Amino acid sequence: MIYLDNNATTRVAPEVIEAMRPYLTEHFGNPSSAHSLGQTMKSAVERAREQVAELLGAAETGEIAFTSCGSESDNWAIRGVLEESPGKKHIVTTLVEHEAVRNLCARLEQQGYEVTWLGVDSLGELDLDALRESLREDTALVSIMLANNETGVLFPIEQIGRIVRERCNAVFHVDGVQAVGKIPISLRDMEVDLFALSGHKLHAPQGIGALYIRSGVKLASFIIGGSQESGRRGGTSAVPNIVALGSACELARTSDGHEAIRGLRNRLEDEILTKIPNARLNGTPDREKRLLNTSNISFAYVEGENILVHLNEAGVCVSTGSACHSTTHESSPTLRAMNVPYTAAQGSIRFSLGRFNTDDEIEYTLKVLPGVINKLVEMSPYDKELRELYAAHG
Amino acid sequence: MKVCRTLQTKLTHYYISSSGRTSPHAGVCATDRLMTSDLVKQLFINPKNVGAVGSAEFVGKAGSLRCGATLRFSLSIDESRRITDAKFRSSGCSYLVAASSLLTEQVKGKTTGEAAALAQHPESSVVERLGECSPDRTHCAFLACEALISAIKAYSDAVREDWPGDEALICTCFGVSERTIEREISARGLRTIAEVTQTCNAGAGCRSCYPLIEEILSQHSRERDLLLPAPAKFRLA
Repeated sequence: MIYLDNNATTRVAPEVIEAMRPYLTEHFGNPSSAHSLGQTMKSAVERAREQVAELLGAAETGEIAFTSCGSESDNWAIRGVLEESPGKKHIVTTLVEHEAVRNLCARLEQQGYEVTWLGVDSLGELDLDALRESLREDTALVSIMLANNETGVLFPIEQIGRIVRERCNAVFHVDGVQAVGKIPISLRDMEVDLFALSGHKLHAPQGIGALYIRSGVKLASFIIGGSQESGRRGGTSAVPNIVALGSACELARTSDGHEAIRGLRNRLEDEILTKIPNARLNGTPDREKRLLNTSNISFAYVEGENILVHLNEAGVCVSTGSACHSTTHESSPTLRAMNVPYTAAQGSIRFSLGRFNTDDEIEYTLKVLPGVINKLVEMSPYDKELRELYAAHG
Repeated sequence: MKVCRTLQTKLTHYYISSSGRTSPHAGVCATDRLMTSDLVKQLFINPKNVGAVGSAEFVGKAGSLRCGATLRFSLSIDESRRITDAKFRSSGCSYLVAASSLLTEQVKGKTTGEAAALAQHPESSVVERLGECSPDRTHCAFLACEALISAIKAYSDAVREDWPGDEALICTCFGVSERTIEREISARGLRTIAEVTQTCNAGAGCRSCYPLIEEILSQHSRERDLLLPAPAKFRLA
């Protein structure tokens, strides 16, 4: 299978497997134990903490806390901040956040918090003036993602952090899950208080995440338990996974493979957009403002799910931006927020590349895709619209 | 077993609707979530009768705001009311494509009446044939049948308009005239469309004649009322 769905999850890197293997075999102590078996595990955890801190450019190693996944990190960040500031009932976030943030904020809204939902323009970019105007004295939290999981559009969090600092005392949380390992990050140089990441997006296994908590930021514990993670998060440390995350961060830092990935993505995107008449890019065409591995492309007037199934048959894995379902039809909230026309949002496909993709795989994908689209175009009841589109394309 | 399946379906659905996107690349996932049965998969990958018929075209459309699918059926029908060709275009899900492929294949060679009667029962004509699927996919089967019926209605309306015979043609699917329907109503004292359909087959197909049958029925009911003796309290002593 050709895997072009690296924003969903990534294959665990061989180096990462090797790094975690001893902690699944010979080493088995509890890092909280005082004996030597426990201490071996503890030092492995601390080594991993350093590796994560280094990739994120954190000022102190102790600013990293391990969690079970990106969603836990987001939930902890948001709920933890609100618990620490009971008098403040206002949250600022965006309409295009990952579900972990979006659905949690929607829940909090039902429970009495006031939420300002910032929209995006048709290119997927934030209006910073709207952000400025939304900030208030009683704003407890600003939660904005670094990279959009669907379109790869990057939000200028460095600038956003400065705006938040200038305007109010709100805590600034960044969901960085989709960006870590894909772009350079230096949290010590930014006004970011909390930053969530997830291991399986950068070639560690599923089931490990981390939250960066800037030194001095008050954050209530999410899981109450023992003294793990300096008492901030109870629960026995998942040492093999933590070691894996550390190793994955090290790998991302020392050999990111970015240029190769970027080259493949650009080729894929360029050829699709020039060769397939009903294809259009979702998200800014300015590649500096988008993740280097992601292309979200709409094929107008055909159903994305059908493209996915055909590509799957041909051995290519991608994602759709919408899920057809007879009881609920959710086209992607991100594409909706960008005002992508319905008939285009329906046919959106996310291609997300990774370090294991090759030239041949992209070549093959570009070979099979036009046939798949053509087949669905011939089946589409929007034949008149498509004829016009194809005629204009020449 | 049935309970388990329903639960599994619910869980699967919850996942789809909450995440808003799918990534079913593993074979099992694709089968479970998108390709409900081997037949659906087969018909989706290689659908039959895609496009529009070349001549004598009668078009039927259906769409769903709920799922976003749109569908167009196109039929060629000869002078003996027989469907000589059937094609479809669809932007819906794989199940809808499979259902449309199956339906177009089934109705070829049938009379409009037989085809419409088939489409009145999506459960038996589509759902059971396509094999096990999540319960809500019946929505797609109904949609496909709706498009088929709508195409037959288009034919019926056109035929009724151009009908050269002495008697007005009411049910075009089964060639039942106004006179026949009136005769049955008078002779048997029929009061509902269902009774008319049961007696002379009128209305058993695309149902485009329902308003006409309704009109004949109410006309007869008025005449019957006039013929009946007035209620006792209005009679002169």
